[in-house]
Amino acid sequence: MSMGIPEIEDSGCLLCFGYNGADSHPIVARRIVRGKQKGMKIICVDPRVTETARISDIHLQLKGGSNLALVNAIANVIWSEGLTDDAFIREHTKGYDEFIEVIKEYTPEYAEPITHVPAEEIRRAARLYATTKPAMILYGMGVCQFSQAVDVVKGLANLALMTGNFGGPAMGIGPVRGQNNVQGACDMGALPNSYPGYQNVTDPKSREKFEKAWGVSLPDKVGCPITHVPRRILHEKDESKRIHAYYIFGEDPAQSDPDLAEVREALDKCDFVVMQDIYMNKTGLYADVILPATGWGENEGVYTCADRGFQRIRKLVEPEGDLKPDWQIIAEISTAMGYPMEYKNTEEIWNELIDLCPSFQGATYEKMEKYGCVQWPCRDKSMEDKGTPYLHKDGKFATADQKALFYGTQWHPPLEKENEQYPMTLSTVREVGHYSVRTMTGNCRTLRNLEDEPGWVQMNTEDCRRLGLKKGELVKILSKRGYCITRCLPTDRVTPGATYMTYQWWIGACNELTIAELDPVSNTPEYKYCACRVEKIEDQEWAERHVQELYEDIRAQMGIHTGKGAKA
Amino acid sequence: MNYFVKGNPDLCIGCRTCMIGCVVAHEGKRIFEIDPDSYTFNPKLHMVKTAALSVPVQCKHCENPACMAVCPVGAISQKDHCVVIDTDKCMGCKSCMDACPFGAINMVPVAGKFQADGTEKKVANKCDLCTGLPGGPACVRVCPTEALTLVTEEELEEAAEAKRKKAALNAFSENYPQE
Repeated sequence: MSMGIPEIEDSGCLLCFGYNGADSHPIVARRIVRGKQKGMKIICVDPRVTETARISDIHLQLKGGSNLALVNAIANVIWSEGLTDDAFIREHTKGYDEFIEVIKEYTPEYAEPITHVPAEEIRRAARLYATTKPAMILYGMGVCQFSQAVDVVKGLANLALMTGNFGGPAMGIGPVRGQNNVQGACDMGALPNSYPGYQNVTDPKSREKFEKAWGVSLPDKVGCPITHVPRRILHEKDESKRIHAYYIFGEDPAQSDPDLAEVREALDKCDFVVMQDIYMNKTGLYADVILPATGWGENEGVYTCADRGFQRIRKLVEPEGDLKPDWQIIAEISTAMGYPMEYKNTEEIWNELIDLCPSFQGATYEKMEKYGCVQWPCRDKSMEDKGTPYLHKDGKFATADQKALFYGTQWHPPLEKENEQYPMTLSTVREVGHYSVRTMTGNCRTLRNLEDEPGWVQMNTEDCRRLGLKKGELVKILSKRGYCITRCLPTDRVTPGATYMTYQWWIGACNELTIAELDPVSNTPEYKYCACRVEKIEDQEWAERHVQELYEDIRAQMGIHTGKGAKA
Repeated sequence: MNYFVKGNPDLCIGCRTCMIGCVVAHEGKRIFEIDPDSYTFNPKLHMVKTAALSVPVQCKHCENPACMAVCPVGAISQKDHCVVIDTDKCMGCKSCMDACPFGAINMVPVAGKFQADGTEKKVANKCDLCTGLPGGPACVRVCPTEALTLVTEEELEEAAEAKRKKAALNAFSENYPQE
């Protein structure tokens, strides 16, 4: 995020794009609600009536998969109505004219049939965003989980650039990351193309630095993105590139990845699978070795918040039984494989890391302890450098000439469109009570009391009437790739023809249906769009029994005791 | 006068933390330790979501409660600014549930108690303003967006006074419009 999360409530206008804070980050949603109370205008772009849409000034309820057409149309209005910040464009950016050439044709009238948003509404939104200062953009998985994702991120950045909304507080553009420490994972180099601190593996200088520090030679090629793994196991012809071993920790691809049938086949065929997690999960059923890990209250270290803020996490209780924190497991495995790692504690690891990453160098444990949170870049270890709440101060960007680059692209539709056999669309979403694949929250009893297997499919009330479906009825939902059983939730918060499911349920596992089509740059799958069909189940008694049997079966396979008196 | 908890749909994000807070308040911390089957998950307020609003609905603690009037066994009474159900007295006739114009009462099983047909005893369930618990209603305390407030006589009076002031000002500016 270019801004800090506390700044959200002080913005003049929030363009909330494909981001449902109330379900994914209630704490960020609180800032949005507070901003609204303080007079912030809200433009919400979402195919559903989310909590943010409900309190917004303008809700653009677009058709799924039309993001870039809408973003380009907003840019078109800002340009054609002369609402641009010309001084900012002139002094701090490049490529504006080429960008205008691309968006010229995206008039609101051109975008209307693609986006299903009335042209006049697009104009109203563009005017409100461009004429309110400071204006901020937040976006979420409704942008990132499409096969055209990175283009839309750049499209949103274009809007902030053309209106001069960079370089000050409460403005800019913010991806509100999907998980609590996903920013931290990226910061630490858990990406196929970078070392810690976003230093590229293909850059010889960075590579040399890390080779010297670690005393090993490092490959100069970009690694394998997680979403390529199934194909690299199943279909790779080049033996030297085929994956034989898969070490998975804190991740449940047999639940969270698209097209689960393919994932299962890959895990099955993979010669050696290691799973490191705090509870048994679907991936664990395919593991050759399971390493029990510690939960968040049982270990210590540093998390990075979505707004680049490093925060210390502390141990609350000593782990019970035969488990170790992740850093100790990694060190021991590494040692056993011939590269001894002898760290005494997490601070020692952290100090090694920040000395290798110029933009993190100043974020010492001492500083995190004193200030609670330190946002990178923080380059100086002196206590005076408190980090950077917002990026691009004075319009200076992280490019060679400090200028931002406009980047215009044409919209293209999602890969799998509705058809006769599968007339509806499916998008995966989140729900507030269950986090990610529910490894943690599924084991929290009150959250399980609130929502449990097999979950829900959100459908428009009109579609439900047409199919003769009532609230709570078990239904079968199918795509080209698979099917699952879940409960029907009729709601007027979604439009006819679209369905939405959360992805954490074992029985109502919507990733049986999703498609493994990827964005070419980010390699993120198109979780937000595939074609599906909903079928009524006539024998509800059988369906209820069947779901119960499936649940018991999975729990038995995982070795979970289901008898009375068991500690859940 | 009776108090009640009021939800503000402009602040509510529909997260249902209030419902969990309610259950934990009434079951006590033991619910995290005991057998999951030996407690009942009976929130005394319910999240309502329509296309236009999200807000929890719970008992209004009426001054002349319809539920109390219809209860044949006198299980419902008013005390300490609150309308309460004595679940030991409740015979499960559902008259109160039927009579309540707000849908604030439901029937729930009581863990560990059984009725004639061998199933768990079912009784009427509704908000009791967390009577007897320190810190006031749990739902108000746990709400992350501060969307819930406990409305007391004093607050109602203050709000009414503010509204009267506004009404007077409006009347004034209608009669003496400014340029």
